[in-house]
Amino acid sequence: MSGRMRSSNQVAIVGFAHSQVQRHAPRSLGALAVETGRRAVEDAGLRTADIDGFVTAALFPTSGAHAVEDGTSIVSAQWMAAHLGGADARYTANFDGVGALTGAVALAVNAVASGAADHVLMHRALHNPRGGRYHDNPMRTAPGPLQWTAPQGFFGPLQMIALTYQEYAQRYGATRESLAQVLVEARRNGSRIPWSYWYGRPLSAEEYLAAPFICDPICRYDCDIPVDGVATFVLTSAERAADLPHRPVYVAGYAGGLPPRRRVQAHWPLDDLQEAGGLLVRRLWERSGLAGPAEVDLPQVYDGFSPFVYLWLEALGYCQPGEAHRFVAAGGIDSGRPDALPALTSGGALGNGRMHGVPQMVECYLQLSGRAGDRQRGTPTTAVACHSSPHYGGAVAYTNTPF
Amino acid sequence: MTTSDTTEARTAGRAGEAAGTEPGSPRPRPVPVPDETSAPYWAAAARHELVIARCARCRMFTHPPDLTCPHCGSTDPGFTFEPVSGRGVVRSWTVVHQSFLPGFEVPFVLVDVELAEQPELRLIGRLLDGPGAGPRLGDPVTVAFEDVAADVAVPAFRLAVAA
Ligand SMILES: [Zn+2]
Repeated sequence: MSGRMRSSNQVAIVGFAHSQVQRHAPRSLGALAVETGRRAVEDAGLRTADIDGFVTAALFPTSGAHAVEDGTSIVSAQWMAAHLGGADARYTANFDGVGALTGAVALAVNAVASGAADHVLMHRALHNPRGGRYHDNPMRTAPGPLQWTAPQGFFGPLQMIALTYQEYAQRYGATRESLAQVLVEARRNGSRIPWSYWYGRPLSAEEYLAAPFICDPICRYDCDIPVDGVATFVLTSAERAADLPHRPVYVAGYAGGLPPRRRVQAHWPLDDLQEAGGLLVRRLWERSGLAGPAEVDLPQVYDGFSPFVYLWLEALGYCQPGEAHRFVAAGGIDSGRPDALPALTSGGALGNGRMHGVPQMVECYLQLSGRAGDRQRGTPTTAVACHSSPHYGGAVAYTNTPF
Repeated sequence: MTTSDTTEARTAGRAGEAAGTEPGSPRPRPVPVPDETSAPYWAAAARHELVIARCARCRMFTHPPDLTCPHCGSTDPGFTFEPVSGRGVVRSWTVVHQSFLPGFEVPFVLVDVELAEQPELRLIGRLLDGPGAGPRLGDPVTVAFEDVAADVAVPAFRLAVAA
């Protein structure tokens, strides 16, 4: 099947809420999720009795030896349905994959477009466990997929992205000074978002450049900080959205880059990400009806690791492969410049905390619905939110002006 | 640690002892758990031989082996582990300054190697030339082995002199 999705612009985001993003929330993740869910329903002008669909991506993105417990370290759609109160949970679904938010949005859109649910509450809840480092793992034996990596000393996402980025840096001549500009942009924008962990705390290029390497060429600032936080959205049909208080933001289309090539676990060679990025973006334009990058007012790139910014700018077609680092170094995404590409205005994961693609989706929603307050950037009509890596993640196109 | 340890592993062992760990090491490196898909690989590694799974249908190598052949799609790939040259080139590397696993002295270098036998046949291992080795993309390497426990050896690499 090819061409534009039948559901393009038929389903809209109509409400939203965001918890404070903290290193450790004073309450359980489940309590935070329920409270944030109820606020989103109210924001949409609805009652919890109107909610009949629950969707999430519940992935707990740590390589550490932490137990996964529903309501504590993750919050599943079923858990939310059981605890929100008053809802008629006719439809519940969890997206199971690394590219969490694209998958969750797809489930929500498909549920509404098919009539399986009228009002879907979609959430993303992220947890930072207490005790021990986030990714530390005291394993003594390496069974299953781990046998191909851990005995060799290859383990954890920082080594993973260091290998990917080293190949990029060496092939294209990228410097640490360029990556510093990614961090400065993310933290400056994140510092203006009241719920951000980094609210009021921008980062200077000098601070970035002074940080020691954890896995050369990656330092701690290149990786988003683990947090407790929840974001919730309400989605419904375009017809119902017309009667609700906020300007609807329609999902024009979504696309992913799957399936990835067979590799040992957490081995993400640069070529794999570049190939998948090209495929994914071709799919995005075809499925959403957008003609290409020039039609996107707000391309929000994913930045859970800083080098992803380059890969997404290149995948979306704003830069040739290998050129994004020069584009960034020259101020290409500096949102202080009127002619720059507003690619990290969300603050991203680096400027908000490890919310796994939430900042990109939130920024698309707030800017297109005209609700960004003193951060509002004129009157954009189209936006794209990128999530995770191109080969495991995806991208979602939004508009406030159905076309 | 056994008598056939690499120089770096011996150095690491001494550093560990100096830090208060005993020989026999309370914080050993993770050891692989061979299973029905991997036993020949680890048996060969213990003999310091590198073998890679090869599809009996299309003869393509795959690492690690999968339930089906990722090249020809066979659901009965009959993977056999066949010796390879152990030669390859560096596709990427990182100098690890903080390990999230026990038993590794930092810093050390990890290399992402494309083996000579087949394009995109990649293997990741430690580079045993030391943290200052400073590899470059395309540098030739050859396989080496680290003995990490009795009858357990893990493939790694050393920089090779270009032919
Ligand atoms: Zn085959």
